[in-house]
Amino acid sequence: MQTMAIETRGLTRRFGTHLAVDSVQLSAPSAGVYGFLGPNGAGKTTTIRMLLGLIRPDAGEVLIFGESLAAHRYALLRRIGALVETPSLYSHLTGRENLEFTRRLLGAPRALIDRVLDTVKLAASADRRVREYSLGMRQRLGLALALLNEPQLLILDEPANGLDPAGIHEMRALIRRLPEELGITVFLSSHLLSEIEQVADHIGIINAGRLVFQGTLGELQLQRQPMLTVGVRNAAQAQQELVAAGWSAQPIAADRLQIKASAESDAIAINRLLMQRQCEVFHLAVAQASLEDIFLSLTTNERKEVE
Amino acid sequence: MTTLFIWLRALHAETLRLKRTLALRLVFIAPLPVVLLAAIVVWEKSAENSAVDLWDTLSKVSLGAWSLFMFPLLITLVTTLLNSLDHSDKIWKHLFALPVPRSVVYLTRLLVGELLLAISSLALVALILGTGWVLMRLRPALASGGGLPLHEILKNSLRMWLAAGFIIALQHWISIRWAAFTISLGAGIAGTFCALFASGVSVGRYFPWLLPANVLSPEIASLSLWLGIGGGLAVALLGCAAFVRRDVS
Repeated sequence: MQTMAIETRGLTRRFGTHLAVDSVQLSAPSAGVYGFLGPNGAGKTTTIRMLLGLIRPDAGEVLIFGESLAAHRYALLRRIGALVETPSLYSHLTGRENLEFTRRLLGAPRALIDRVLDTVKLAASADRRVREYSLGMRQRLGLALALLNEPQLLILDEPANGLDPAGIHEMRALIRRLPEELGITVFLSSHLLSEIEQVADHIGIINAGRLVFQGTLGELQLQRQPMLTVGVRNAAQAQQELVAAGWSAQPIAADRLQIKASAESDAIAINRLLMQRQCEVFHLAVAQASLEDIFLSLTTNERKEVE
Repeated sequence: MTTLFIWLRALHAETLRLKRTLALRLVFIAPLPVVLLAAIVVWEKSAENSAVDLWDTLSKVSLGAWSLFMFPLLITLVTTLLNSLDHSDKIWKHLFALPVPRSVVYLTRLLVGELLLAISSLALVALILGTGWVLMRLRPALASGGGLPLHEILKNSLRMWLAAGFIIALQHWISIRWAAFTISLGAGIAGTFCALFASGVSVGRYFPWLLPANVLSPEIASLSLWLGIGGGLAVALLGCAAFVRRDVS
C-alpha cells in the first residue's frame, strides 16, 4: 500500500456563514508532486493553512505521514517546509540573514544555508538586502527558507504567483527536481491547470470548498469524453429527436447542438437519424475535450450548484 | 535541556532580527533629549545661583522627564517597531509553520523588548554621568555641590524599568494583536497623555503609564514597583495565552 504524505478526513472550515472548506478528503502520496488545483477563492489556501496548523479546522482531521497533526504538531512540522502565498521575509535583512534567522530558530546546521542558496540559485545575491530583491528572487528565497529544515514534505501555495515566464519555468524545473533528486514530496497549489499538469503526478481539484476530483493525471484524462458538435437548421426539433432516441444533446447556439458521443460510428448514427427525421445537417465534428475543458466543467458545474 | 535550547535559539535569532532596525537605534537616542534638557536646566540655574547641586538637579530632572514622558513613549515605539516587522510581510505564517512553540515566539519577543529598554535605562544613567562630568569641566563651580549619587540614580532607573513591566507587556500584546501600528501608537500616546491627568488624582497611583514615574515618590514607590512587575507578568501570560490560540490569516 502506498504511503500517504498527506491525508485529510472530513476537513471543514467555516468563516462566519461562509463554508470555505467542506469535508475535504485529500490523499497525497509520498515522493511525488501533488497538484492542488482550483479557481481563486476555492478554498486552497484555507486548506493549506489547516495542513500547517495555522488555522484550526471546525471539523475533520489532518494526517501527515500517517500521524495526526493535532497530536504531533511540532514533531511533524520538523518534517515540513512551507511557502504560503507570498514569501515571509524581513526586508531590512539580507537574503543570507533571513535564512540565518530561521536556521537559528530551527537549530539547523550552518552549512545548510549555502546548500539551499545553491538549490534556488540565489548564492550570488545572498548578501544583498531583501528590499532590493525582485519578486522572483523573493519567491526563490521563500523556497530556500522552506527547504532549510531538509523537509520530507514541501507545501507550496501558488509559488509561481507574480513570476515572469522565465521565473515560472525555473520554478517548475526546481519543483520537478525535488522529488527526483531529494525524495521530497511536493504539495503544490495553483489556480492554473497548465502549471500543475506539467509537474504533478496526482491532482486534486477543489471548487467552492469541495474536492471535485482526485486522482492521477491519467485518471483525469479518462474523463475526456468525446463531444460531437452538430450544425442543424432546426435545432429544437433535432434535439427532441435525439433525446427521444437516447442521446444526451444540449444546445450550444441557435443552430448548434453538442452531444456526448464516444466514436465515429456514433457520428454516423446521429447523422443518419437526423436525415431520416428531415433535419438538415450542415456541420458535424467530433472533438476531444482538453484537460482545460474538464477542469472548467468540474469547477463551473460546482460553481453553478453553489450559486 | 531541549526546552532551554529552544529558548536560547529563539533569543539568538531575535538578536539577528534587530540588526539595522530603528528600534535598536532609538534605545540609544531616546535618553539624549532628556539629559540635554536636564543639562540646560542645570546650566541656567547655575548661572543664577552658584550653589546649585549638579548631580541632584541633573538626575532628578532627567529621571523625572524620562519616567513620565520619554520612557513610556520609547516603550510604545520599541514594541510597535519590533512587532511591525512581522506584520509587514505577514511573517507570522512563516514563524507559526516552524517547529517552534508559539509561546516561545511571544515571550522571547517580549524578553528582547524588556532587555532593549533595560539597555536604554542604563544608557540614560551613563549619559547623566557623562553630562555631569562635561558640565563640571565647563563650569568648575558646579563641582562644589553634593557628591555623585550613583547608587540612587542606578536604583531609580532600575526600579522605573521594573515598574514599566506592566506597560511593556501591554504594548507588546497590543502591537502583536493588531497589525495596524496606529492602534499600538495610539494606545501608547493616549496612555502617556492621560498619565499627566492621572497624576493629580488618588487612583492615578494604579494607572499603568504612571507607574515608572511613581517610583520616585517614596510613599508609593513599593506599590508602583510591585504593580508594575505583577501586572506585567499577568498581562504577559494572558497575552501569550491569546497568541497561542490565534488563527493566522
